[in-house]
Amino acid sequence: MATGIGDPQCFKGKAGASKFKEGDRVRVKDLPDIFYTRTMTYTRGAVGTVTKLVYESPAAEDEAWDNTDNPEWFYSVVFKQKELWPEYPDLYANDTVETEFPERYLESA
Amino acid sequence: MSTSSNETSIQGSEHGVDITPIPLLQDIQAHGRVWTDLATQYGVTNPDPPWKITLEATCDLLAGDSCVKPYDQVAPGSCALPSLERRAEEDELSATIYEDVPFPERQLLALAHSMIKRGLVNEDELAHRMKEVEQRLNSA
Amino acid sequence: MSDHDHKPAPMVDEVSDFEILEMAVRELAIEKGLFSAEDHRVWTEYVHTLGPLPAARMVAKAWLDPEYKKLCDTDGVEASKAVGVNWVTSPPTQFGTPSDYCNLRVLVDTPTVKHVVVCTLCSCYPRPILGQSPEWYRTPNYRRRLVRWPRQVLAEFGLQLPSDVEIRVGDSNQKTRYFVMPVRPEGTEGWNEDQLTEIVTRDCLIGVAVPKPGVTSNAKRPVIKAIHPVHHGH
Repeated sequence: MATGIGDPQCFKGKAGASKFKEGDRVRVKDLPDIFYTRTMTYTRGAVGTVTKLVYESPAAEDEAWDNTDNPEWFYSVVFKQKELWPEYPDLYANDTVETEFPERYLESA
Repeated sequence: MSTSSNETSIQGSEHGVDITPIPLLQDIQAHGRVWTDLATQYGVTNPDPPWKITLEATCDLLAGDSCVKPYDQVAPGSCALPSLERRAEEDELSATIYEDVPFPERQLLALAHSMIKRGLVNEDELAHRMKEVEQRLNSA
Repeated sequence: MSDHDHKPAPMVDEVSDFEILEMAVRELAIEKGLFSAEDHRVWTEYVHTLGPLPAARMVAKAWLDPEYKKLCDTDGVEASKAVGVNWVTSPPTQFGTPSDYCNLRVLVDTPTVKHVVVCTLCSCYPRPILGQSPEWYRTPNYRRRLVRWPRQVLAEFGLQLPSDVEIRVGDSNQKTRYFVMPVRPEGTEGWNEDQLTEIVTRDCLIGVAVPKPGVTSNAKRPVIKAIHPVHHGH
């Protein structure tokens, strides 16, 4: 059992029911950054597919303030490159990027 | 602010480091012999200088608990030099005044630069300490 | 027998200004109480032990054992134990993992999906199982370009993939750290775990190269600056 500071295992079972499941289509919300975020600009507004519910953890935006009271589900989401970069060549339409988001950044698409 | 460019978002903070050259470090940059030269001259095959690993450890420990926590969890002021800030400054210094210095010599110059500009050490005491270290190493 | 056989390995018999600078910076930091000499020694010793070998062995084991491959796919932290890496207890800090969370995910390639890893935010890297990241991995050039022009970046590493292979970039900007499990190459039939481990280089584990029989080291890569994103000097 991991007990390292911030290790996701410390928050296992604390986020309650997950809002999304594997295979769901989601859109990344463009929330304002108050202080610091790990949600990359290049993904904002993009629609992708949930590949995996990865762990429960407070969002980086809360942890930055030592607030670990509200763990939430984190999702691994895969995007078509073309969705992120419209100029991406059609020849490579299958190419993708996969990265993670706290639940608050996602909405059903 | 969330609509800032991708460059900005990927970069973290690129503003902030003072890239005005520091004479002591300029002197090392101009006269210090880098590992690739030394290794070639002495026929040594190790691709990295022996001090690279201690340098890495110094960087990690200066980050204090940001060496074991990510940047966004580190309380301001709780460590001497947060890792993400040091990395951003190293990126910027490597692209500017230390552009012609190979790695890891460049990482070392960037670290010393960041420490001096933040007042963690001052240039004179560093120069003085270097003289002492040099005497010690060369008298052994 | 000639003298030649008794010669010790060559050493650099010269103290450089850089070596002096490294020591001076470290000593002053210790004297100012920024960290302790003991912590530095312990940490250095630990970092010394790290490298890509455990991850390479995981890949080799998985190639030989479909059950283990499944474990790698579902629980990287658990699978790491089989190669002697315990993400929870191995680092001497007792803080969990150094700069990385205890959350490893092995990205398993297939003949039609090739993974490659980046951290666009800074340079997050699964150090307990891969060691220190190479310099190019840390550069803004790689971090900014890989998510956007992966095929161009991979081509610079000498890896060109057909259009029917999906390139999937894993960006480790939250709490998961990744490494890539490439497809076992042809020409390795009948090989044992040690032989297979040898061809799984660090670059294969990041995903910028694929294993090839006979290739056991990483290709030299010139570091390219970000300000000339398409320029390639070599």
